[in-house]
Amino acid sequence: MADALVLRGLSKSYGKPAVDRLDLTVRAGELYALLGPNGAGKTTTLRMVAGLLKPDAGSISVFGIDALADPAGAKQIIAWAPDEPMLYDRLTPMEYLEFVAGLWGVDAKAARAKAEELLKWLGLWDNRDQRCEGFSRGMKQKAALAGALIHDPRLLILDEPLTGLDAAVARQVKDLLQARVAAGATVILTTHILEVAERIADRIGIIKAGRLLAEGTLAELRARAGEQDGTLEDVFLELIDEGAEPA
Amino acid sequence: MIGRPGSTLWLLAAEMRLGVRDMLGRRGAVRGLLIAGAALVLVFALGLPVASSLKGVGIPISPMSVVIADAVAAVVFTLMLSQTLAAATLALYSRGDLDLLFSAPIAPRKVLAVRFTAIALNAFAAFALLITPPLLPVAVMGHWRWLSALVVLAALAFAASACGLLLATALFGLIGARRTRTVAQVLAALIGAAFFLAAQTRNILGGQKTASLWLELAEAVRSGRLRPPPAASLPLRAMLGEPLPLLAVVAVAAALFLGASQWLGARFAADAAAASGVDAGGRPRARTAVARTFASGALAATFRKELRLLWRDAALLSQVFLWVLYLLPLAFLLLRNAGEHARFAIPASVAALAFMTGQVSGTLSWVTVSAEDAPDLLAASPAAIAVLIRAKLAAALTPVAVLLAIPLAALIVLSPVAGLAATAGCAAAAAASSLINTWYNRPGKRSDFRRRRAGSWVSAIAQTFVTTMIGFAAALAAWPSIFALAPALVAVVTMLILRKSDAQIAETLRAAA
Repeated sequence: MADALVLRGLSKSYGKPAVDRLDLTVRAGELYALLGPNGAGKTTTLRMVAGLLKPDAGSISVFGIDALADPAGAKQIIAWAPDEPMLYDRLTPMEYLEFVAGLWGVDAKAARAKAEELLKWLGLWDNRDQRCEGFSRGMKQKAALAGALIHDPRLLILDEPLTGLDAAVARQVKDLLQARVAAGATVILTTHILEVAERIADRIGIIKAGRLLAEGTLAELRARAGEQDGTLEDVFLELIDEGAEPA
Repeated sequence: MIGRPGSTLWLLAAEMRLGVRDMLGRRGAVRGLLIAGAALVLVFALGLPVASSLKGVGIPISPMSVVIADAVAAVVFTLMLSQTLAAATLALYSRGDLDLLFSAPIAPRKVLAVRFTAIALNAFAAFALLITPPLLPVAVMGHWRWLSALVVLAALAFAASACGLLLATALFGLIGARRTRTVAQVLAALIGAAFFLAAQTRNILGGQKTASLWLELAEAVRSGRLRPPPAASLPLRAMLGEPLPLLAVVAVAAALFLGASQWLGARFAADAAAASGVDAGGRPRARTAVARTFASGALAATFRKELRLLWRDAALLSQVFLWVLYLLPLAFLLLRNAGEHARFAIPASVAALAFMTGQVSGTLSWVTVSAEDAPDLLAASPAAIAVLIRAKLAAALTPVAVLLAIPLAALIVLSPVAGLAATAGCAAAAAASSLINTWYNRPGKRSDFRRRRAGSWVSAIAQTFVTTMIGFAAALAAWPSIFALAPALVAVVTMLILRKSDAQIAETLRAAA
């Protein structure tokens, strides 16, 4: 099976490089956590993959589809969920899902059934006819996640999906992501909550200044950092230390 | 900042700063002040010859002057009331702001008194800016007492603020938090247009179409049929600087304002808390909505979503409602003149109708195309930008088409040539305005639509020019005259020059995302 995401020499500069000749491969069916300090280029990288930013150089391949040559083809199998939910305050969750399903061209009948399933799964069914403007942060995040899943994406990209969520909702989101991976989807997420990455990620990539510093399973990263018994936080801090060499 | 932190003066200065920034918009204070300053100097200079001619001339206290002064005061008061009602409603629902102030160690009564004062001062400032430049030279050249007109204006603003607060609170009590926001916006529009509508009742209800309500009022005073009571002269006397009437006007306004502030203070705070509770609880909808099928495809889904958002935007609805109010007399005038085959009135009305349709279509198009709440969602979707834009424009033009359908159909029946010219003119103006707003879209917030500055300057100027040309063309076509082709051709050529490709539009929207 083709890799879910292959980035080669990906670069983006805003005066100074935000992403600098980044090479990254995410395998199909894995949950990949992209970590890095603030301003490392995580969000810029993911926005380029989602088709929201044009790279200055490099290539992006999503399940074998050249995302720069065929952006619509790549977008069709990607879902993008940023840290700020992309919602409309004056729409209800059902109306929002109807709109998103329309954008991705999902069959109306199938989308209706899928929306019901997702809202029930995420505990939003009782709120399906309430406008999102009164929702809590967690409810908005769940509604946005439902929108991201309505077209059954093969690659789910989430930027800080757990920011501002309470423990119960955060657990629900983590369970949902793991369930998607178990169902065959690929998930890439960024997070500053390292315990989350430690617990649910199959592989972890650490970037700094737009370059990949290290990549692998937690055990591999521990070995590389020389922190055999350390937590991911210890490993992360060790690797982003100035002495770390790019992978 | 002026005053000790936490003091009434300090709070008021903070409120006024926000009000001034809101008024100046995003162009920045310096640029805005320079433009306003230049305009004031210009009007002052223009007022000098008028002031010179008024030197030594007094205004007699006659029934005519009293009625004119009362009418002007009433018009200004209704316009101010429209403004203060909208502002009071906004204050009720802007809970983030009030939450911050109420969480500070400052007495809530003080916070609300300052908020109410700021509402009054903002209403006063808008009119004071208009009358001060011509009034100043008159005052300098001998009529210094006439500066009392500014005091009367302030009294009107404080009275309007009190009435606005009373109305907003009464609405809240009567129809609840959920409906007040929409109803208050519509009511504000209605009050704002009240005198225009009153002046146009003849056009709406029929009768002598050329008779103005104001002229009739003047005639009634002249013939002695209308004798204003002595108290009616108070506003005029106060404006002319007579101490006792001035004191009386100020006392009435102050009593109204202080009474409303004291009486409504605690109630308003409770209403604001209830308003925030409404949002937190969400809005239940009919269960039947869930059973409805989903729209199929990007075009239908986007069209439906945009219509929903337009329909649920209370502030936008009130603006459209205001447009309808202004359009009604025009439509009635047009229909009656068409029935009587009036030669000159029809083309002028057709031109005005086409122009106004263009303006409203431009606003709605800006809201749907540029004021997108989730640009990332659209940019990340595989849907083609051209499809999304088409759906958005169709949604923007649907309310315009619905509102115009019946009057235009009636016009076609009564006067086919004028009806067809008006229909073509309105359609062309709506299409042109929408396209210009799409080509030169400047992404912003939905709430910015009130300021036409929300769009780009290019689009504002281009839209005015093209819709004026289309208005001319429609008027000449309604005449009917072959010369209609000339302005139509100018409009077409301008549109061809302005045109932008889908890729360019997509790039602008992507940059905003």
